[in-house]
Amino acid sequence: MRLGTVIGRVTLNRTVPALIGARWLIVSPFTREHFQQGADAPRGLSKDPSLVVYDDLGGGVGQTIGFIEGREAASPFGQPTPIDAINGALVDHIFYNPYSK
Amino acid sequence: MLLARVEGNLTATRKHPSLEGWRLIICQPISQAGEAEGVPQVAIDAHGAALHERVIISSDGMAARKAVGDEKSPVRWMITAIVDETTPA
Repeated sequence: MRLGTVIGRVTLNRTVPALIGARWLIVSPFTREHFQQGADAPRGLSKDPSLVVYDDLGGGVGQTIGFIEGREAASPFGQPTPIDAINGALVDHIFYNPYSK
Repeated sequence: MLLARVEGNLTATRKHPSLEGWRLIICQPISQAGEAEGVPQVAIDAHGAALHERVIISSDGMAARKAVGDEKSPVRWMITAIVDETTPA
C-alpha cells in the first residue's frame, strides 16, 4: 500500500461491463519528501505521475488514502476485472519519524 | 522481498474489512548500507516491529491474503521478518 492525496475524480462514459457504477479517484502519490514534510505542510503535487484509483470506501478530494497497486488490486472482485489500483484505506492519522544515524 | 526500516504507522477508521485489527506500518526500503531507496510502503505487521527496526517486507499478495484470512483482500505488502543483523555489517 502506498499513500497519496486525492486530487480529483473521474466519471466514465463507456466502460467494460465489470466496471459499471464504479467510483474513481485521481491520486497524487506521496514520495519520501511528502512524508518528511509532516502532516501540517501543504501537500504539493507529487513528482511521480498521478494515477486513477478504484474507490469503494468513499474518498473525497483533499483526503489522504492508502492505495494498493498491482494484481492484488483486482482480488476483491470475483470475475477477472481490469483494475490496477484500489483504495484500501482512508487515512485518519500518520505517525512518521524518519530514521537518522 | 525488500530490506526496509520501520519509520511510522498510520491509523485508518475506514478501510478494507480484511485490514481490521492489523497494524499498518510505514516501511522505508533501504540499501544494505541503510540508505533510503525508493518510496515508503505501508505493510501489515503480525510480528510487532518497533520504530526504526529493520524488517523484511514481502509483496506476495497470496501469502498476505492467507495471513489476513480473506481470499478477496487487496492486501499486498506484509512484514515477514524482523532483522537481527546483515553481513557485512
